[in-house]
This record gives sequence, C-alpha cells and structure tokens, in this order.
Amino acid sequence: MGNFLPLVQNENMKIYRRPRTWVMSAIMVVLVLAISILWLIFGGRDTSMWDVAFMESSILFLLVTIFTVVIAAGGVAEEFTSGTIKLLLIRPWSRSKILLSKYISIMIFAILLAILLFASTLLVNWICFGINASPDVKPTFVGAEGENPLSYMLKYYGLTLISLVVSVTLAFMLSTVFRSSGLAIGLSLFLLMGINSFMGLIAMLDYKWIDYLLFIHLNLTQYLDGNPMRQGMTLGYSLGVLGVYYIIFIALTWYSFNKRDVAS
Amino acid sequence: MEQPIVKLQNVTKKIGNRTIIDRLTLDLPLGEVFGFLGPNGSGKTTTIRMMVGLMSLTDGEITIGGHSITKHYEKAIRHVGAIVENPEMYKYLSGYDNLIHYARMIPGITEHRVHEVVKLVGLEGRIRDKVKTYSLGMRQRLGVAQAILHKPQLLILDEPTNGLDPAGIRELRDYLRMLSKEEGIAVFVSSHLLSEMELMCDRVAIIQNGKLIDVRTIRGEHAAKVNNRVVIEVDRPQGALEVLQAAGRSGELEGDNALTVEADKENTAAINASLVSAGIKVYGIRAHVKTLEDQFLEVTGGERIG
Repeated sequence: MGNFLPLVQNENMKIYRRPRTWVMSAIMVVLVLAISILWLIFGGRDTSMWDVAFMESSILFLLVTIFTVVIAAGGVAEEFTSGTIKLLLIRPWSRSKILLSKYISIMIFAILLAILLFASTLLVNWICFGINASPDVKPTFVGAEGENPLSYMLKYYGLTLISLVVSVTLAFMLSTVFRSSGLAIGLSLFLLMGINSFMGLIAMLDYKWIDYLLFIHLNLTQYLDGNPMRQGMTLGYSLGVLGVYYIIFIALTWYSFNKRDVAS
Repeated sequence: MEQPIVKLQNVTKKIGNRTIIDRLTLDLPLGEVFGFLGPNGSGKTTTIRMMVGLMSLTDGEITIGGHSITKHYEKAIRHVGAIVENPEMYKYLSGYDNLIHYARMIPGITEHRVHEVVKLVGLEGRIRDKVKTYSLGMRQRLGVAQAILHKPQLLILDEPTNGLDPAGIRELRDYLRMLSKEEGIAVFVSSHLLSEMELMCDRVAIIQNGKLIDVRTIRGEHAAKVNNRVVIEVDRPQGALEVLQAAGRSGELEGDNALTVEADKENTAAINASLVSAGIKVYGIRAHVKTLEDQFLEVTGGERIG
C-alpha cells in the first residue's frame, strides 16, 4: 500500500543529514586535489591529464569502497544499536520493503560517490594538466593502441562499480545478520582488503575450488588489460560467480531481517 | 461492551525452553485506558512487542481491528501508534525531521497535522533542535507525538511516564484520558508504577511470570467497596482490642500500635468515644483504603523476579 518513494527519501535523509557523509566526500575531493597539485609541483606539467586522472581513480576507488562499506555496514546495524528499529518497523510497511528502501539508498550513495570521484578527477586534472596542454603529451596508460582514454576510463569505472555493488551487498548482509555496525565494518573491510591482498598468492595454487572464491573475481579490471589472475578465466565467468554470490547475499539478508525477533 | 479492537488469544511465546508468555488471553475495548501491570521481567514488554509485530508468536493469535498481526501485518498495524520501551529517535536529526520521517511512512499525514501534534505535546520551542540535545522528558514527548501522528485507534505506550516530571505525568494522564473518552480510542499502557496506573486507567490486567493473573476495574463501583475499614492508632492496642470486643466489635491488630476495624462514619465516632473513655490514647484515625498496590501485592504474593 501507499507510495514506496518516501521510504527511500527517509533513508536518504538518514545518510545525508549526517556530517560523516560529507566529511567522507570532502576527504575524497581533497585527496584528488592534493595528488594533482603535488604532481604539478614536483612532476611538472608534461603529463597527460588522463594519466593522472586514471592513476588517482585507481587509488581512490579504494576509498569509495571503504566509505560505502562503512555506510552500508551502519545501515541496518545502527538502527538496532540505537533502538530506532522498533519505531521504524511498526509502520504499515513490510520488513522487506523497509530493508529494500535502505538497500536502494545505500546503492544510490555508492554510485554518487563513484560519480563524484570520476567528475572530480576529470575536472581537477583538466584544470591542472589539460588546459593548453602541449599536443605532444599522449596518455600512456591505455591498454590498446589508439583507444579513446575516456571510453577506457568509463569501462574501468563500470567494472569496478560491479565489484563495488557486490562488496557493499556483502557489508549490508553482515550488518543485517550481526546487527552490530562495528563488527560489520571490521569484518567486511577485513574480507575485502585483508583477504584481497593474499589473493595474488592464493590464485597461484592449483586447486579447482579456488575458481569459485569470491575474492578471485572481485577485481574485474584484471580483464581490462587481458591478464586474468588465473588462467582461462573470462569476464563472463567472473560475472557469473559474482552473480551467484550476490543472490546468496541478498537472500540471506532478507531472510534474516524478516525472520528474526526484534528484542534490543 | 463494544466490539474489542484488540484480541489476544492464547498468546504464547517460548524462547528455547523458557516460556516467556503463557497462553495470554485478553480483549481491549475502544474508549478505555487499559493498564498492563506486572513486576519487572513479567513479560509486559514481550507482550507489547508481539502486539506490534516486532516478535513472532510461538502460539496463539493477536488481531487488531479484525486483522491478524501475523497474517495481515500492514493492515493490522495501520491504526496502531506505539512506543516500545524508550522512545529512541534519530539523535542526529531534529525533532521535526524525526516526525516528518514517520509521517512519510503513512499516507495522508499533512504538515499541518505534524505542527498540530508538536503543539499538543508542548515541544514547539525545541522542535527544530537535534534530538541529542533533548532531555529524557522531551524525548518521551516526542515519542508520544510520533505515536499519535496518524490518529491511531489503538495507542500502545510502554512505561510512558518514564522520565517525565510530575507536571508532565499529569498532563500525559489527562491527555490519555481525553483521547480515550473523547476520541474513543483504546489506550494500552504498561507500567510497574502502581499508583500511576491507579490514576490513569479504567481497568488493569495484572501479569506475572508471563501469566495473566487478574483483570480489575479501577474506576466505578468496584473500587469503592474496600473503603469501610478504619485504622486506629493507639498507645495500647491490646487494651483497645479488649474494649472493642467488650462492645461487641471485632478488630485486628495492625503492627505494634494500631488496629483495624470494620466501621462506617458513625461507628468510627462511637468507637473513638469508647476508647477515650476507657483511658486509651487515640493518636489518629484514618480510612484504610486498599490501594492497587495492596491488591497487586496480594495477587502476585509480593513475589520477586524469578
């Protein structure tokens, strides 16, 4: 019954009325500025704006992931720890829809943050390196010769956004299942950052089951340059594995949220 | 009696092997303030949680306005306003934004209504401030505001006087009675504060260890009956008792220096006269009003938790 949009509006209000959201966004933009200005001072102006923009994007996308995971991990758990979940649930809405409104607003935040990173790297570096750039300066990062740097960047962002959605869904699941934002933040960051750094090693092992590990597939940009972590893996295969994990995460999240008693 | 708005039938809640609520059956009619009284840990909050769908039922059924809370949750909860335990709000939002948040979740609540409710609970001055700056009493008021925002037919308040000052308690009491009498809604209030319940409620259900022990009418003819006992404070109760027995009355010793007698107005004066003439010092005479507290301790046997 009723209109679903106000629920998302509510969740958005809970995200954007908090200073931490703006602090996170500001940190990201300031870092983009800082890297570009330092580069300008110490490296000079004979670099392509695309090279700097791509370098910044690949480093700072990690921040997008961390910040969104923090918001996602807080999403459900904070309602439980603060006790507000009780007043939130006793409205004429099913628990599934309330959870969906939270999930949607977190996804919107993830995408907005990625767009902010994309836009700020392009704008800042266009100002620092792009205006009146010498025609001799060519971007060097592009894999294939002659490929348009913008379309390469967009592909890169597209692939990392897919991984971001899976990571955020993982954090959202942990938040719902454990109902503790600290545990959800800690565990998801440990899984995403900690395990990810071992993945290069694990990928070298010659076991079949490793092909099904989530973390082998989380870094989709490995396909952009055509050298996957494990031999014979394709983008389609990775997307398939991620899809299965995604469905499992979503199912567990909704099942747990609908089933359990609220007794905090 | 009117058609009950809420029906609890054989409601049972088990967690593991423990039975928290044991076959609770209760009907709440419209237009009454209904108290739910029990010692700490007796299952008051668990019952309320089940009534608003925060907890599942192990057995039995709860219907609100004819809709089952488990099968047609969205319909059943539509006309319910509630505070469960403390009214926890989003501390980083203003009081007004908190109300807007809840108003958005139910269609048909206008901004005008939000202002009306703010005025009603007396928060006009501070409503734009963040909730984290509110005192407990102000949060309680905000909690009441969100509960009545959509003009519910059933208002469930868990320990509503917590943190309110005496003036606030009185205001809330008057307001709840007004709501039940004039708007004809059912108000369900839980508390362990007996004296408070006595002033606020029409009827009281007493619960202990998850079992419904008794339902008592507080207001009306029922309550007055216990009023004709008199407590007399004297210097020599034993001697006083003998004087009374000589006059053909029965009395009971109460404590070290008092006794209770069954007596109306006239008799009380006569007893006083006979005691004084027998040389017994009478320090005081008062009506023995059996309070809800006495009744409560009587039925629950004054038992502690567990």
